[in-house]
Amino acid sequence: MAKEISKVVKLQVRGGAANPSPPVGPALGAAGVNIMEFCKQFNARTQDKQGKVLPVAITVYKDKSFDFVVKTPPAAVQVMEAAKIKKGSGEPHIRKVATISWDQIKTIAEDKMQDLNAFTIESAMKMVAGTARSMGVKVKGNAPF
Amino acid sequence: MEDIYLEFEFNVSPSEPWTDILIAELGEAGFESFAETETGVTAYIQKRAWKEDLLEAVDVLKSDLVTISYTQQEIKQVNWNEEWEKNFEPILVDGICSVRAPFHEKPDVTFDIVIEPKMSFGTGHHETTHMMIQHLLKNEWAGKKVLDMGCGTAVLAILAEMKGAQPIDAIDIDNWCYLNSIENAARNNCKHISVYEGDASLLERKSYDTIIANINRNILLNDMATYAACLEAGGELYLSGFYTEDLESIEKECNKHKLLHVEHIIRNNWVAAKFFKND
Repeated sequence: MAKEISKVVKLQVRGGAANPSPPVGPALGAAGVNIMEFCKQFNARTQDKQGKVLPVAITVYKDKSFDFVVKTPPAAVQVMEAAKIKKGSGEPHIRKVATISWDQIKTIAEDKMQDLNAFTIESAMKMVAGTARSMGVKVKGNAPF
Repeated sequence: MEDIYLEFEFNVSPSEPWTDILIAELGEAGFESFAETETGVTAYIQKRAWKEDLLEAVDVLKSDLVTISYTQQEIKQVNWNEEWEKNFEPILVDGICSVRAPFHEKPDVTFDIVIEPKMSFGTGHHETTHMMIQHLLKNEWAGKKVLDMGCGTAVLAILAEMKGAQPIDAIDIDNWCYLNSIENAARNNCKHISVYEGDASLLERKSYDTIIANINRNILLNDMATYAACLEAGGELYLSGFYTEDLESIEKECNKHKLLHVEHIIRNNWVAAKFFKND
């Protein structure tokens, strides 16, 4: 029988660095979960992405057990990495801060496909390109679709 | 040092794709972690990492395509694990060692460890603690100088003392683990445990007969040379906190420092391994 869900907590935590401080502590502690158990598991599972901000969805069950799914870094984080910038533009439509290629957009879109609720790779690429433009990152060349 | 966190609750309109962008920029600016909300995101940073001009580097806050407002407050570290602690089940390892809370009935076992974990790791519930206790139970500790690195609740140091080890150094980088270890050592009438707050840099010029470290792969790999340097020839090293697929890299690093694999236990894909220092 499927276990009854008590709540789903959506956090973004750095890989290998979960600790019982906020937001992990209060979010899980209130639900009666053993916080340290989550931290140990999360840190071991994300040890190859040490320090990267990773979205994690934690499902807490009525019996105080839990499981969690770690996603790949958010599209905006990946765009910043690909474009080698530390921040976007405050005036994205006027002032561009970097350029990336459609190939780079495609790599990110493939990685984020599941999380973006996109049915096709083209629609995922459009969403990622939209995020890039909103940050003042110009996408080079014509769209390949 | 006590950890105080600052909480920033951001309202982002429109939410897509701006919340994502805000998180990315806050992450670069030094914010540690985030909780996604209906209307945006709540972001957390340690007070000692915070600077007044930090948000000036977050350009998306100045963008005219999105409206972002925020409120901030300070959050004191409290024991968030209290709810779980109220009714956790005691643990029994190999029929002779129990780890329990003060409110549990005293069991009839050789080693009865009483722990109030608060937010420290080490209640025996996790596979790695369980297996490290097994290693401790079946090996000789009398009169040995022991280091418990990343001690958490100090549960392993306490068992080492019950098995006759002395003196014992217990070290943890987290302030609440440091305080919790002192409390738990006293709670179990331990007389030979010294607790320190810090990392492997505290180990300079130290020497031990046995080292136990239940931490994680990255830290173990990083600190292996230090452990090896303060372990006597013929000494034993017990490592846990990593998966079966990580054992190879751990063993390789150990071998570089004359630490030879003796045996290991596996539980649910977690490993606790014993190494021996060849002189």
